[in-house]
Amino acid sequence: MNRRGALKWISGLFAAACTLVVAIPGVSFVAEALRRGPRKKSIVQRVARLQELPQGRPVQANIVGSRRDAWTVYPDEVIGRVWLVRQTDDSVPESEHKVAAFTGVCPHLGCAILKSSDGENFVCPCHKAAFALDGEPLSEDQLGHTNHTPRGMDSLTAQPVQDEAGQWWVEVEYKQFVTGLTKKVQQV
Amino acid sequence: MLRNTLEWLDDRTGYHDLMAPIRRRVLPNGPSWWYTSATCLLWLFVVQMITGLLLMATYSPSTGGAWASIHFIEQSMAGSFLRGVHYFASHAMIVLFAVHIVRVLLSAAFRAPRELIWITGLLLMPLFLVWAVTGNPLSASQKAIAQIEVEGHIVGSTPLIGPIVQRLLIGGDEVGQLTFTHLYALHVGLLPLLVIVLLAIHISQVYRHGLFPGSQATSDHRARPYWPYQTVRNMTVLGILVAGISWLAWRYGAPLESPPDPSLHYMPRPEWYFRSLFELRRYFTGDTEFIATIVIPTVTLLVLLSIPMLDRRCWPKVSFGFRLLFAVIGLGGWAVLTFQSYARDWQDAEYVAAEEEAKELAARARALADKFRVPPEGPSALLSNDPKLQGPHLFRKHCANCHSYTDADGAGIAASELSAPNLHGFASPDWIAGMLDPQRINSEHYFGNTAFADGEMASTIVDMFDGLEGEDLKELQTQLSNVSQVLADEAQREVSEADEEAVASNAELLTELACTDCHRYHEEGDLGSAPDLTGYGSRKWLIEMIANPSGERFYPDDRNDRMPAFAENPHQPEANLISQRELELLVDWLRGEWYEP
Repeated sequence: MNRRGALKWISGLFAAACTLVVAIPGVSFVAEALRRGPRKKSIVQRVARLQELPQGRPVQANIVGSRRDAWTVYPDEVIGRVWLVRQTDDSVPESEHKVAAFTGVCPHLGCAILKSSDGENFVCPCHKAAFALDGEPLSEDQLGHTNHTPRGMDSLTAQPVQDEAGQWWVEVEYKQFVTGLTKKVQQV
Repeated sequence: MLRNTLEWLDDRTGYHDLMAPIRRRVLPNGPSWWYTSATCLLWLFVVQMITGLLLMATYSPSTGGAWASIHFIEQSMAGSFLRGVHYFASHAMIVLFAVHIVRVLLSAAFRAPRELIWITGLLLMPLFLVWAVTGNPLSASQKAIAQIEVEGHIVGSTPLIGPIVQRLLIGGDEVGQLTFTHLYALHVGLLPLLVIVLLAIHISQVYRHGLFPGSQATSDHRARPYWPYQTVRNMTVLGILVAGISWLAWRYGAPLESPPDPSLHYMPRPEWYFRSLFELRRYFTGDTEFIATIVIPTVTLLVLLSIPMLDRRCWPKVSFGFRLLFAVIGLGGWAVLTFQSYARDWQDAEYVAAEEEAKELAARARALADKFRVPPEGPSALLSNDPKLQGPHLFRKHCANCHSYTDADGAGIAASELSAPNLHGFASPDWIAGMLDPQRINSEHYFGNTAFADGEMASTIVDMFDGLEGEDLKELQTQLSNVSQVLADEAQREVSEADEEAVASNAELLTELACTDCHRYHEEGDLGSAPDLTGYGSRKWLIEMIANPSGERFYPDDRNDRMPAFAENPHQPEANLISQRELELLVDWLRGEWYEP
């Protein structure tokens, strides 16, 4: 290689080194967003008093917890919503009540599910998916148009618990699930 | 296939011919290491833009989010490295600017027809310094806010337009949210645009007129094509600079001082490149200070800008001497003033101590942010909620009139008039043992300067030891040592968590030693004669004690010597001497309960 070629080589080498010194950390820094994120744990929480739930009518409750947003931690925020439907009637003792609990997140694309105006169904305002009070999606005949949801509302485990003062509460284990799938898969 | 693609591109865009001036550039006098400053400045500028863009993706310019987002960047190795490169590259560019300007000045490359190159280049320097000035305060740290406040006042001291410009920059009366959004808009928006425009004119002019041939006659055998002869020199110097910057970024990183903390005894200083002005203004009074900070730099710039015109009027020989003198005085004066400023600080013990304190506070803030992340109120809340930091302040303010907090060597907080026990290591086994030791209980570290000196407790302890020798003495000492441990354990956990069996056997010991004749301990003994030993020294116990020492669990009726009740109105907190939060911080500090990484 002649002198000129060697000089070109050396120039290229230094230039490449300088580029890598900035490019490698740069790419790594941008890719951090792919790595970050704590595991989404399930949260067990008392969300509503048993006496607040009328039989067969949906009631919404909030899940409260701390939320981490990049560099800030918000200690006391509503981080989720659940729908509760008490299935058993008043004659049953408190400890044996059955309460159906569903996450308020629509399994289609994640909008917040509401209850219908007559309180007989759940509806999603985004694409008009609708569900019965047991979480099952309504059929096309019942609905009058395609029901876009891939599966029924995601149910959560709920049970009555009593606190130290003797009050009965509904304790729900709140989890988050992946939208868009026909199967219910918990988010990690 | 690559060749085909490039041919297609060239046919559409004509880039091959457009790039010809660069590709075919020839240096009539050959390459030189002196010419490398220009290209290095350009590429470092590119590095700044790239690292700046990357940092922009994560930084948040608000009073609450600035420090927190920068700490967030620092938590990742890549982010910390990029920020370090951004910081040290800016310093390298300032040094390179000086080198470049001096080289051009001395080689008279500003002469016709290159005046515009000189002017645009010279204007780039103060523009770049302003760019750095808008960048440094973006961390909203203690130092950053002090800096921008001072810089705002310096701007404001300019006659006539000063106060208006200051208000526009700060966004109002005080440094706040708008200050940071303004600085940010300048730093990432307006200033890069201005620099790019000036740079475009500068570089296009260089290509139009070529490099200054100097006074030597050109000779063909010295001429060389720019690529690769000059390029290899450029890249070598750039490589060395980038290596140096990377090492500094890796080893030290850009600094991040603590969030603003008004209780910090802070002595702000400007960045190193402004130290000369900081020193120069000491020779002027308050009213005339703007001569040092505004007039002298402006006049220097104006003189430099006019040098092409002045040069034409001077004889060629003398003018080199004048330029050399100018450069020597300028650089020399700058160096002397800068060194003087630093020397003055290094010899000032108070300043050195303040710097140490600031460093420790910064490290503590970062450790707290690593562990707890920043609360919504902002990073200063991390500091104001830290028992380790706030405890000493609160102790000095509320307790140190009577109590001291000094260890065996006397280090710590001394009382102004020691009239109460020394609280260092309160409720530790050793501290309690001192209370049970006839040699120590009446010393100034315990009851010596209080109404309890030689009182009921003290004489009980003294009497216990009276006449005892040998085995009996040892047995009593062992028992009292056990009592110290029992009570120290009470301090470690809340009453509700106590183990029933342990409590029962402890009660036996205390009853045997007749402690429970006066003190209550769980189910044994009564309140009224002496402080409750149930949960002694625990968080709840200490909070209640300080809130109201005359309460029935402690020193009821007239048994309290003179300790005030610090929070005796639970329903009217404004009427209390300290707030509940302050009380809890103080208690956590006294009990040594704070986060340590």
